[in-house]
Amino acid sequence: MPNSNQPKTTSTTLNPTTNNKKLKQDILDEQYVRKSMSLSKIPSTRQESEELRFYKHRISRFRITHTKYIILLFFLGLLQFISICFFAKGFLLTRHVIDDVSNLETVLKPPTFDKAVVLIIDALRYDFVVPVEPKQCLYPWQNKFTALYNTDNSFLFKFMADPPTTTLQRLKGLTTGSLPTFIDAGSNFNGEIITEDNLIKQLYLNDKRVLFTGDDTWDALFNPYLLDKSQFFESLNVWDLQTVDRGVMDFFNEYLFQKQKNDEWDVLIGHMLGVDHVGHKHGPNHYEMSNKLQEMNDFVANRLIPSIDENTVLFIMGDHGMDHTGNHGGDSQDELESTLFIYSPNKIFSSSNNAHDNHRQTVTVDQIDLVPTFSHLLGLPIPFNNLGWPIKEVVDVEVANKQTLDQLYTYQNVSKVISNKDVLTKLTQYYKLNDGINYQKLFLKNCKEKWAKFDLVSVGIGIGILAVSLVLIIVITKLIPSIVVGQMCHEFVPSIFLMCIISIVSLNSIFQILQQPSFLDNWVWCTLFALVIGIVVGCCIPIFDRYNLKWMFVKFAEDLNDYWSRVGAVMITLHALCFTSNSFTIWEDRIVAFLLTTVGFLSLYEFTFAPKRASTNALLSASNPEQQTSRKEMEMTTTDINSADVQSNRLNTYNNKLANISHVDSKIHDNNNNDQITISKSDTLPLGKFARIIGAYHSLIIILATRLASTITVCREEQGLQCKPTFVNANNYSWWCLFLCFLLIWFLPNCIKGYYNVSSSYQAAAPIWIGQFLKSALFLNFVYWGIYWYENNVGPIPFDITVWKFTLSRIIVGLSIIALNIGWAMGPTCIKLDIKNTDLKSPQATILGYSNVYGSQFFLLVINFLICLFLFNKPLAQLSLFLMVNQLLSILEIFDLLKLKENLVGPVALGLVSYQNFFTTGHQATIPSIQWDMGFILTEKISFPFTHLGLIMNTFGPFILVSISIALLTLWKQPPGVLKPQTLLARIVSNCGMLLIYNTVLCLSSFAWVTHFRRHLMVWKIFCPRFMFACVCLIITQFVIIFITVGFASGRVIRQVNNIFWK
Amino acid sequence: MSSVQNTNSSNISATNASNAKKRKVKKSVTFSDYDTVITPVTNGSHNGRNKSTSSSIEKRPDGSHYPVVVRKSISTVPFHLIPLVYYYMKTYDIYTLFYLTIPTQVFYLLFQFRKNTIFAGKKILKPNWALVIVSLVFAVPLLSCVATIIFILAGAPLLSLSYLKQTFLLSLHCCLLSYPAIYSVFNCDFKVGIFKKYFVAIAFGCWLSCFVIPLDWDREWQNWPIPLVIGGYLGAFVGYAVGAYI
Repeated sequence: MPNSNQPKTTSTTLNPTTNNKKLKQDILDEQYVRKSMSLSKIPSTRQESEELRFYKHRISRFRITHTKYIILLFFLGLLQFISICFFAKGFLLTRHVIDDVSNLETVLKPPTFDKAVVLIIDALRYDFVVPVEPKQCLYPWQNKFTALYNTDNSFLFKFMADPPTTTLQRLKGLTTGSLPTFIDAGSNFNGEIITEDNLIKQLYLNDKRVLFTGDDTWDALFNPYLLDKSQFFESLNVWDLQTVDRGVMDFFNEYLFQKQKNDEWDVLIGHMLGVDHVGHKHGPNHYEMSNKLQEMNDFVANRLIPSIDENTVLFIMGDHGMDHTGNHGGDSQDELESTLFIYSPNKIFSSSNNAHDNHRQTVTVDQIDLVPTFSHLLGLPIPFNNLGWPIKEVVDVEVANKQTLDQLYTYQNVSKVISNKDVLTKLTQYYKLNDGINYQKLFLKNCKEKWAKFDLVSVGIGIGILAVSLVLIIVITKLIPSIVVGQMCHEFVPSIFLMCIISIVSLNSIFQILQQPSFLDNWVWCTLFALVIGIVVGCCIPIFDRYNLKWMFVKFAEDLNDYWSRVGAVMITLHALCFTSNSFTIWEDRIVAFLLTTVGFLSLYEFTFAPKRASTNALLSASNPEQQTSRKEMEMTTTDINSADVQSNRLNTYNNKLANISHVDSKIHDNNNNDQITISKSDTLPLGKFARIIGAYHSLIIILATRLASTITVCREEQGLQCKPTFVNANNYSWWCLFLCFLLIWFLPNCIKGYYNVSSSYQAAAPIWIGQFLKSALFLNFVYWGIYWYENNVGPIPFDITVWKFTLSRIIVGLSIIALNIGWAMGPTCIKLDIKNTDLKSPQATILGYSNVYGSQFFLLVINFLICLFLFNKPLAQLSLFLMVNQLLSILEIFDLLKLKENLVGPVALGLVSYQNFFTTGHQATIPSIQWDMGFILTEKISFPFTHLGLIMNTFGPFILVSISIALLTLWKQPPGVLKPQTLLARIVSNCGMLLIYNTVLCLSSFAWVTHFRRHLMVWKIFCPRFMFACVCLIITQFVIIFITVGFASGRVIRQVNNIFWK
Repeated sequence: MSSVQNTNSSNISATNASNAKKRKVKKSVTFSDYDTVITPVTNGSHNGRNKSTSSSIEKRPDGSHYPVVVRKSISTVPFHLIPLVYYYMKTYDIYTLFYLTIPTQVFYLLFQFRKNTIFAGKKILKPNWALVIVSLVFAVPLLSCVATIIFILAGAPLLSLSYLKQTFLLSLHCCLLSYPAIYSVFNCDFKVGIFKKYFVAIAFGCWLSCFVIPLDWDREWQNWPIPLVIGGYLGAFVGYAVGAYI
C-alpha cells in the first residue's frame, strides 16, 4: 500500500496542481495513478479504515494460499519426476561389466610389430578419403584427403561403428571390443575410467609405454595407463577448430618425427578433433572442411607416413562419421561409416590390395574388429570382453582366429551372457568345429539382443505412477472448481506432508527389516516409492473428503461437453497417438504444425460463421456481470463515463477533482470520436461484427505464422527425400537471414506494441521495456550473430574478438535473466492516467490500459526470457521465435474474444505452439539434432551453469516461453477488480494444470509405446529419443510453471495490481 | 482447413455473382447461423434449423430473409461418387477423373440436389442455366485457386512445382465436388450458412485423409495428393447424403 500513510500532504499538494495550473501530460505517469488511487482511498471515515484493514487481511490470506499452491504443485511435480526416474531405471539399459582381465598366456604368437602409432581423426567419414573423378566432384570435401587411398603397403577399410556414435561410446567400443549400451550415451560429458579390460590397459599391463596426445576424453577414460608426458586438450569446445590439431601435430613432431625421443614410447596415440569440430560448426559442405581435410592430408602424407619404420605399424582411423548436417550420435549410415587405415613399410603388408591396382575394393569391417587385430599385431592378449573378430586381410589368420575363438569361448563361459539353450548348443557346436567366424557372428548377434533387456517391473511402476499423477492433476486442476481448490490447498499441504512422513518411515522400516518389497533396490528407491504413496494418499484424503468417484466421472464428462473442450481433447489425443507408429513419430514436426493449423482454421471458422455453441462459461460469466461490461467490447467511448462500472463510480465519489475516470478498452481509441457507439453489455455470443473481423485476423495470423515457420526444418534422416533441410548453416548465415534479423529489431517490438495497443496498454513501463530494452537487446543480439555471419562468409576477423563476443553474449544474458527480472519484480505497470478536460468543473481522466493491467505487466516477463532465447538461437530460429510471439499473442486475443479463458483448448493451443516451435527452431526429437555449439556462447569451456543454460535455452526455449505465458490465458485482458486475487490465482493454476495435463499425456503415451515397441527395430533411433525428450519436456514445464509462472510471477503481478487498485 | 475454405469460397462467390447477376430479391451475404436461420418467434425450439424454419417462413413478410432448406430425401445421396472413387483408386488418373466428375456432378445438381432444395417455402427454383454454366466455368476454377492457397496454408508440400500443380488439381476436384453447393449459394440468395456443411464435409474428408500420408507403407496411394482426393470424394459423399439431416 504505497502512499497511503501520507494522505493529507498528498492531497493538498495535488489539489492546487489540478486546480490552478494546467495539468501537464508528462507528469501523469504510473506514480501519478498510484497517488490518485490512494488518494481516493484516504480513510476518512471509520468505514474506510475498516475497508483498508479488510484489504490487508485479504492480501495476507492471498499470500498464504499462494505459498500453499506452490507446495501442492511442487509435490505433484515431484510425483511425476519420481515416475520418470522409475521408468528410466527400468528402460534405459545397462550392461553387466565383468572385470576379469585376459592374461599373457592366451597369446599364441610373438608380436608382428614392436611399436604402433595410432592417429584417430574424429568423425573421419569413409567417403572423405575416397577420391572421385575430378569431374564428378560435387562437394568441397571430395578429393582433398587422398593420401590414405594412394599409399602402398596399406589397407583401407570401411569401418562400421556401432551406434550410438558419440566419441565416448566409440572409444569404449574401440578399446574394449564390446558394445556400449544406451545408458552410457548420457555420460559423454563426464566419462569415467574404464575398469573393463581394454587395449590400453593390456598395453600398460604388458609393459608397453603408451603416450597420448589430443582429446581429453582419453584423460578421463585411460589416465592411469598413459604416460605422464601425455598431453590433453579441451574436447568439447566445438568452435575451436585448430588448437587440438596443432597440439597433436606439434606433439608428433616432438616425439615421432625428430627421432631423438622415439625410444620414450612404444605406442603413440593421437586424437584429432578438427574434422569433427568443422562438422559441428559448419557442416561437411563448408569450405572449412576442405581446408581441414587438406591439412590432414598434408600431415599424413608428408610427415606421418614417411616417419614410420619397419618395426612400427600405423593406424589411422575415425571413430564415427557425420551426417549431412555435420552432427553425429545416431545411427544413420553416414554417421556409422568411418575409416580404418593400416600401414607399415614392412614386407608383411606388401600383399595388400594396393593403390596402384585400379580400384581398391571397399572392404567393410566392424569397429570392434580392431581390438583382436591390434592385439594380434602387437602380441597382446585380447581384452576379456571383446566380441570382435580379427581382420583377415591384416593378420595371420589361423593363429589369430584360434586365439580370438578361445577368448570368446572363455568370455561366454565366465559371463554366461547367453543362456538360451538352442543358441548354446549351436555355439558349442561351432566351437568344436573350430568355426570361429560363425561362432563370433552368432555370439555377437545374441549379445546385442541380450543387452536390450528391460526391467519391466520398474517400467510398470513408472507408467503406473505417471498415470496416477495424471489423474490427480486432472482432478485437482480441472475437475474440482478452481475456487474450491484454493480453499482445499490448506488441507492438501498438511495431509501430504503427514502422509509422506508416515509412509517414508513405515516403508523404510519394512524394507530394512523384511527386505520387502523386493522390487526396490535400496533405500533411495524405497524412499522415493514411499514419497509416491505419501503424495497420492495425501492428495486423496481431502479430495474424497468432499467428492466421490461418481461425481468425478460426471464432472469429467461434463467438462468435455462443450465443443472447444472437445477440440482440445481431440488435439491431445491425436498428438499422443503419434507415438503409436514410427512413421508418425518421424513426422511429428509436420503433424504438430498440422494440428496447430487446424486449431487456427477452427477458430477462423468460428469467427466467420459464428455458429451457436453451448458455452460452458455462460455460468461463470453470468455470475460476474462486471467482468462482462469491463471486459472487452471495443466500442467504449472515453468521454462517456460508464456508470455501470463500479470502479469508476467509486473513484468518482472519492475524488472530486479528478472527476470522471473511466476505462479505455478501445483499440479505436480516439478522443475526438463523437460517435456514441452503444456499449454492448452482453457478453454472450454472437460476437459483434468488429470482434469477428479481429478474431478472423488473429486466426489468420496463427495459420500464416505456423505455415511460414514450418518451412524452417532440420530433417530427420528417416524423412528422406520428402524433406528438404532448410535449417542449415548456408541459410543460417546467409545475407538474407541476417537482413531479416536486422529487420526484427524493429519488427518484433512493433508487433508486440500492436498487441498492447489493442487495449491501450502501451503505457508507462511498456515503451521502456519493449521500445528500449527489447530493441537494444535485439540490436546487441544482431551484432553478435552478425559477427558469426562475417566469420562464416567473409573469413576470420584479423584481430582477436573472442573476448568481445563473450562480453556481448554475457551482457545480453545478464540483462535478460538477471537485471530485467529484478526490474520486473519491482512491478512495472503499463497504465497511465490520461486527463483530457482540465476545466475546473468537469475534469475527466481515463486510465489507459486499465483493461489489460495484469496481462500487459505479465507479458514483460515473457519478453525478458524471449531476449535470452534470441541469443541462444541461430538466426533462422530467431525468425521462428518472432513468429512464435505473434502466435502466442494472437492465441491470447482469440481465446479472450471467444471467452474461453478457462477452457482446455487454450493451454492445448499454446502447447501445440511450443511443440511446433521446438521443431522449427532447428530441432528434432533425436540426439544428433541437439545444437551442442550453443553451449559455448557464454564460456569457452564447459562450466556448470552456463553451458547447460545455453543448451537448455536452445533446446527447450519454446517450452519455457509457453510455460510462462500460460498464465496470460487468465491474465490477458483481465481488468482489475473483477475477480478476487484468489480466484485469479486459482484460474492461473487451473490453466497451468491443463498444460501439464497435455504434457503428461504425451509423456505417458511415449512411456507406454516405447515399452510396447522395446523390441522394435527403431526403438533406439526413434522411440527412445522421443521418450527421453518427452520426459525432459515434462520436467522443464513443471519446473518453469512451479517456480517461475506460479511461484515468482503470478502472485507478484496480482499483488502489485491489487495494491494499486485496492481490490 | 474447413473454415477458410468456406469463408473464402463464399467471399468469392459473393463478389462474383453480384457482378454477374442481379436478381429481384435483395441480396445480402451472410455467414453466421444467426443471420441466416430465422428463429421462430412463436416457439423457442433450439437452433431453429430445418424444422422450425419451414414453419416460420410465412412470418417474415419483408421478404429479405428467405430460408432455404434441403429436403430430406434419399435422392440427395450422390451415388455417382462411389464408382468415381473406385475408378480413381484403381487408376490414380486424376485427369480422367475430371471428365467423369464434371458431367455427373452437373447431372447430380440438376436432377437430384436442385430438386430437393426448397427456396422460400415450397418453391423449387427452375434450373438457372446461365448460372449452371457460369459457376462451373468461372466460379469453380476461381475458387480452386483460393482452395489451393488454403491447402498450402494447411501444409501442402512446396518441394517442387509439380507438387504445386498436384495441389491445384486437388483443389479443382474439391471445388468440383462442392459445385452443387456453390451453385445453390449463388442461386439461393447467398445464404452460405445453409450450405456451409457441404464445404465442411469435403474439407473434413481431406483433413482426415491426411493421416495416412506419413505412414511408411510405401503404397502408391500415399503419394500426394491421392489420399486427399479420395478423402474429399468420400467426404462429399457423406456430406451430400446426410447434409439435409444435420
